[in-house]
Amino acid sequence: MELFFQQLTNGLAIGGIYALIALGYTMVYGVLKLINFAHGDLFTLGAYIGFTLLTSMNLIGKIGPLPTLFLFGIIIMGLVGIAGIVLERIAYRPLRSADRLAAVVSALGASIVISNSIMLIYGARFLVYPHHILPNFTINLLGMKIPFMRIAMLLLSIILMIILYLFVQKTRIGTAIRATAIDHGAARLMGIDVNKIISVVFFIGPALGGAAGFMVGLYYGQLNFMMGWMYGLKAFIAAVIGGIGNIPGAMLGGLLLGVIEALGAAYISTSWKDAIAFFVLIIILIVRPTGILGERVADKI
Amino acid sequence: MNRKYLIWAICLIFFLSPLFLNAYWVDVLNNIGIYAILALSLNFILGDTGLFHMGHAAFFAVGAYTTAILNTMYHIPILFLIPFSGITAAIFAYLVARPIIHLRGDYLLIVTIGIVEIVRIALVNNIFGLTGGSNGIFGISRPHLFGLIIRRPTHFFYYIWIFLAVSVFLFHRLRNSRFGRALNYIKEDEVAAEGTGVDIAKYKLIAFVLGAFWAGMVGNIYASKMTIISPESFTFWESVIYFCIVILGGSGSITGVILGSFLLIGLPELFREFAQARMLVFGLAMIIMMIFRPQGILPPPPRKYNVDQIN
Amino acid sequence: MVKKILLFTLCLSLFYIPMGFAKSKIKIGLMCPQTGSWASEGIDMKKIVNLLAEDINKKGGVLGRKIEIIDEDDGGDPRTAALAANKLCTRGIVAVIGTYGSSVTEATQNIFNENKIIQIANGSTAIRLTEKGYKYFFRTCPRDDEQGRVAAKTIKKFGFKRVAILHDNTTYAKGLAEEAKQNLEKMGGVKIVFFDALTPGERDYTTILTKLQSKKPDVVFFTGYYPEAGLLLKQKKEMGWNVPFIGGDATNNPDLVKIAGLDAAKGFYFLSPPVPQDLDTPQAKAFLKAYQAKYHALPGSVWAVLSGDALLAIVKAIDGSKSTDPDKMAYYLHYKLKDMPGLTGKISFNEKGDRVGDLYRVYKVDDKGNFVLQPKD
Repeated sequence: MELFFQQLTNGLAIGGIYALIALGYTMVYGVLKLINFAHGDLFTLGAYIGFTLLTSMNLIGKIGPLPTLFLFGIIIMGLVGIAGIVLERIAYRPLRSADRLAAVVSALGASIVISNSIMLIYGARFLVYPHHILPNFTINLLGMKIPFMRIAMLLLSIILMIILYLFVQKTRIGTAIRATAIDHGAARLMGIDVNKIISVVFFIGPALGGAAGFMVGLYYGQLNFMMGWMYGLKAFIAAVIGGIGNIPGAMLGGLLLGVIEALGAAYISTSWKDAIAFFVLIIILIVRPTGILGERVADKI
Repeated sequence: MNRKYLIWAICLIFFLSPLFLNAYWVDVLNNIGIYAILALSLNFILGDTGLFHMGHAAFFAVGAYTTAILNTMYHIPILFLIPFSGITAAIFAYLVARPIIHLRGDYLLIVTIGIVEIVRIALVNNIFGLTGGSNGIFGISRPHLFGLIIRRPTHFFYYIWIFLAVSVFLFHRLRNSRFGRALNYIKEDEVAAEGTGVDIAKYKLIAFVLGAFWAGMVGNIYASKMTIISPESFTFWESVIYFCIVILGGSGSITGVILGSFLLIGLPELFREFAQARMLVFGLAMIIMMIFRPQGILPPPPRKYNVDQIN
Repeated sequence: MVKKILLFTLCLSLFYIPMGFAKSKIKIGLMCPQTGSWASEGIDMKKIVNLLAEDINKKGGVLGRKIEIIDEDDGGDPRTAALAANKLCTRGIVAVIGTYGSSVTEATQNIFNENKIIQIANGSTAIRLTEKGYKYFFRTCPRDDEQGRVAAKTIKKFGFKRVAILHDNTTYAKGLAEEAKQNLEKMGGVKIVFFDALTPGERDYTTILTKLQSKKPDVVFFTGYYPEAGLLLKQKKEMGWNVPFIGGDATNNPDLVKIAGLDAAKGFYFLSPPVPQDLDTPQAKAFLKAYQAKYHALPGSVWAVLSGDALLAIVKAIDGSKSTDPDKMAYYLHYKLKDMPGLTGKISFNEKGDRVGDLYRVYKVDDKGNFVLQPKD
């Protein structure tokens, strides 16, 4: 039983990251009905920008680790968010009125471009974040040893998600985002600048992905230009499990996927872990064709 | 009339091209041919029926492994295994597509991604002790045709491209048949199609199974061409390539899909000079082509019906 | 219009007809992954081979002719590799170095063999590659069965009773894991409590570590690659679990310590052929000096260094057989080349084309993060 809870916490920590990346997928999908396959690579970009900041600027000695990380986190979110806006302008906006699948191909192209640019700039070798930035101790919780940073990471992901949720639900811009997601034309008639809203969405989604990249870099320490592909795919699954386009769904889907993976690996087989995750996804979709929290969309007649 | 001669001339030059191309370029053409057939079979599902299918490599894999296992264990000649590989892939497609065929758009997309990944993981884990794990299966024999062993790139060139020509003919006929028109109706307006009495689940399933049948047969060709197959050749990324070929070439258009395979498989070879940057250039080319031709390079022409011939 | 197209195709084809008629340089191919997941290995191979080629040319080349390295990207994927091999065959090369992955190499073997081109692989350890009787195929890396034997012997010698074997389902790691398991079972007295794979390329391996811990092994033998090994060590340390880890030669990369962190990496054992740093032959020293002068770093994994050995063997074969005829070169490599001093020790090949000799040594990561060669008993 202790083992079960230990694996559960392992899964939740992994799931928190998935959820944070899945939010970017889900927001973009909600507004544009576009699967942004380049999202995982924006996550990688966040991790690499973090590496550059940490190794080039020695702020930790001057203002202490926590303020530095906070400041860097903000800078990374800003930069990756801007990258997201640029990506939308170049690769997706010209295709907005075209067939939906054309934008998917463009997104796949963008994914190749971003990951290979990172490889050309930083090299193909694994990069490693500086060690000993984060406090490293374990907490004893009900007889389980849990590294403090895992809890911190999960909490931070949840905080970011709650902020986003409140932003979308309570602010004017958030209302505009929801309106745009339902109907572009009607939103435009209500005086909403749809292009601006799409830019906002393409800022927030990648910014959260970038933050996730920074967190992964800080905690796991090891970077590679291909890392975004795997995380991106997992996050996409998470978004679909929860019901793509639905923000609480992405959070739920991410955490659930992390837990499924951990328990699948623990009790069935580690080498079949990803297959188990996909299998569960298929079962969920057969039972609920639009994900757990996805709404049933009425057929247009 | 002039145009017709031109097309025949191009075809003739093309069929004579192994005479003046070196082995490398012939092999590039072989790869293009294999991808073109695969993309055509996907086009039938994705382009003609409008099902978002990003897991076609799974059916390709089932076909290739069927050939490899039966050939290496029971020494059945490769050519006899062609229909058999197709049938296995088709049965597999039927079994997996049956429960998911009602899923819409992007949900179907992710499920097909799931299928191709599950198949790959199963192959890596040496399922039933048959697939050889990540080592794959080696020692697959070459096709024997009337005493001739097909093994050089030039031999394969004719083998593959004749198969492609047959596929083009059949897919063209299928597309313009009553069945093909029904699929097209489903693509354009599912609800209306259902309303006029088209059994959409059945038609979609048949499209899936037929596409998979064809991909399975290509699996046979691929296995005998490489003589070794391993799970790396059947990843999700492979399916993404077929998907891009269809959309980029012009979804639903046979000529477009063939042109698309020339671009997506041929371009990285032309970009070899860029060494490490070649994939970057390739990705850029994908975005640019999509922006300038969102409907694909050669979208299918609108269907024309001769008024006199109706009824 | 028709004429234009004809002319165009002709031009295109002429452009690509090999221009290697001038016999001034000896061309040697290098096939390595420069894009895709293994790009870092391939780029390192390219650096090392080009560095050595420059050096050989500076000393006057071989048989009075300079050598030229022609590299092609195999993308770490069998299909791309087959294309790269076909392309190399049209460029007039006499021999080819590479490549890294076993299944990737396998897809190119018959192409080079049919074209009578000597192939020396550097990272393909799968046993069956040299069991097919290809006359022109060699490799500078040892085979999985060799390493499996050494691994089993080492584990036994340390006196571990409960052994967990973890691989990553790649051809290499799984091959090694199975060899080690068979050897351990044959020896007896050792219980294998865990045998499974992780998914390479992930960041979080706590799930598998927790599972491993519950099986209470005395030692974990990880046969996969250094990025995962580094993370495993790091996360194991974080969990406060003090089990010794032993790795295969895929963990022999200076980046291992960087990824794991010094605290977590120290005390880690791994098996590997000796790296240039540990050899006091003049070749190894000169190579190391030149490499550091040019790239300001130590060479990466041992397999990239083995591609350098492949080049040295090819050059030696040309020199020794006084020709670039593949049959003479192959004969020389099989039977005449004895104990050639290379970057990873003495090199000779047996009649199958495998490298001869017990290469594997045990290394330990010391308190400063250096890889220390353990004395051989």
